[in-house]
Amino acid sequence: MKLNFNGVTLDISSNGKTFTLTLDDKTIQAEVFHTENGRLDLLVDGNRILAYVSSDNAKRWVTVNGQTFVLTKSSGAKRSGGKHDHAGELTAQMPGQIRAVNVSEGDAVTKGQTLLVLEAMKMEIRIHAPQDGVVKKLFVKQGQTVEREQVLVTMENG
Amino acid sequence: MFKKILIANRGEIAIRIMRACKELGIKTVAVYSDADKNALHVRHADEAIHIGDSSPKESYLNMDKIIDAAKKTKADAIHPGYGFLSENASFAGKVASAKLTFIGPSADSIRAMGDKAESKIRMKQAGVPVVPGFEGLESENDFNKAAKEVGYPVLVKAAAGGGGKGMRVVNNESELSESIESAQREALNAFGDERLLIEKYIPNAHHIEFQVFGDQHGNLVHLFERECSVQRRHQKIIEETPFPLLTPHLREEMGEAAVKAAQAVGYFNAGTVEFIVDPDTLQFYFLEMNTRLQVEHPVTELVVGLDLVQWQIRVAAGERFPYSQEQLTQRGHAIECRIYAEDPAHGFLPSTGVLLQFIEPRGPGIRVDSGFRAGDEVTHFYDPLLAKLIVHAENREIAIQRMRAALKEFIVHGVITNIDFLQAVLSHSDFRNGEVTTRWVETNFNWALPSEPSFESLIAAALADLTIVNRQPKIENRSGPDPYSPWKNLSGFRNS
Repeated sequence: MKLNFNGVTLDISSNGKTFTLTLDDKTIQAEVFHTENGRLDLLVDGNRILAYVSSDNAKRWVTVNGQTFVLTKSSGAKRSGGKHDHAGELTAQMPGQIRAVNVSEGDAVTKGQTLLVLEAMKMEIRIHAPQDGVVKKLFVKQGQTVEREQVLVTMENG
Repeated sequence: MFKKILIANRGEIAIRIMRACKELGIKTVAVYSDADKNALHVRHADEAIHIGDSSPKESYLNMDKIIDAAKKTKADAIHPGYGFLSENASFAGKVASAKLTFIGPSADSIRAMGDKAESKIRMKQAGVPVVPGFEGLESENDFNKAAKEVGYPVLVKAAAGGGGKGMRVVNNESELSESIESAQREALNAFGDERLLIEKYIPNAHHIEFQVFGDQHGNLVHLFERECSVQRRHQKIIEETPFPLLTPHLREEMGEAAVKAAQAVGYFNAGTVEFIVDPDTLQFYFLEMNTRLQVEHPVTELVVGLDLVQWQIRVAAGERFPYSQEQLTQRGHAIECRIYAEDPAHGFLPSTGVLLQFIEPRGPGIRVDSGFRAGDEVTHFYDPLLAKLIVHAENREIAIQRMRAALKEFIVHGVITNIDFLQAVLSHSDFRNGEVTTRWVETNFNWALPSEPSFESLIAAALADLTIVNRQPKIENRSGPDPYSPWKNLSGFRNS
């Protein structure tokens, strides 16, 4: 069977207790000899590896040798053309509250100018203009609570 | 001695204080907000009182509700922890008026040191060296003039502040007005007081602080230094003691200045006198005094061999602190790393979510003060500190090795943490050489996540999908009272 994480396809076949994995033209023999509470004890080409894996929908949190990666599992079909590109759309990087709105719709702004101030975890996060342009639409007001990824403002290139 | 103490805080520090209470045979009362209904600190307490909405203003900063909770539960004392109301003189006063004991210094000491402007004036009078700057500024014109006279870069900071909140480095005049506005807003929000002061910004300096401790009978000593220069956004992330830059002579000199500073405001209980030290001249300047227990108190506890929280409680109850300065010594080396839910690759932005995995390291010389467990949610309402990892070893080199090994075994999934970042700092030669100054993270340290996932992580993810993930029963209710864990219904699966 095939699995795809972060655009890398792994071809896997199982032969009883061992797995044969192919990725990037390399073939690896692996064995899973114990799993418990998200911990996997693996033998990969003869080397013992201790890994921790958690799943959250398509996301996989993987820690091996003290290093943590967040991988995204895709359904197999290769995507072409990449992600949607919402150029000019500025979103909240985390949930929080809008502390200040420094611009109005139609304002011409310069690259780096602070458009909005978001407060989260007692910290101020300033939303800057990514390039020179015009504020097209404001979606939030001062004091409003916003969710992660929520669109706050859209911009048009000047 | 007290029979019951209310802990007016949350997270790891609330749990840390409850442990000390239990050891002393004192009952504990937790307070909690909506967001903390199922928080770990609530479970550690003998009693728990709901005090309001998730927003700190409605709960952990609400003095009346906290004092009411103490009265209702017949607690005799309140421990404020750090942050929130810990350095609020009017809270300390209200606690006393309600015939309860505030576990900390007197309201007068807090007031004197809490006002960064007033404290600087007092320190000058007491003969403690201070950073050049101006206090009592009001108009934009005042700020402009003061900044010019001090000379850019300047530091704008909240007169009522602490912990890096309401503090901005201003590199030139064009940045001044926006920095002031934003610092005022942050200060007003964090401390309810928007006054700012300006001082000379000393960029390449070490932040070195001295723990002081006193009883109500006139014994006041210092418990040596803590080096806290590894910072981002003016907030500490790694602290250690002792620090090699301090010669025995300099340590003695700074220790004496710290005691003098504390004496000048009639201090008792635990406090910290912060200095900045110029590594080239070894000149030191008083920065501020924190009139509370510090986040990083455990490194001092390990090296000096005292339980600071137990002693806070005992001296608040009127006991004598039995050690003289001569009896106190430093043994070995201790380092603390603050494990934050934040993304170092994206400007250290806080990260929120449900903890899918939370495994703390264990072993000789390893201590973890933590406020979370797997299944808990990290929300945007509070500081993103997940846990403190503290190690103690016979010398600095071994302590660094121990910390690096322990960090490797700290597993957190569900929120992005700074664990990989801390690991990179500890392995950097500047850190090993003790040359990290307060701006080092921003200016000297180039760190990036590896752009590609490791080979092993891909293999592990694939094998996990085949052996565990696809076998897990669907869990529908993620926000239920039980901790969410994708693995909780699985027993040890063996492939062979």
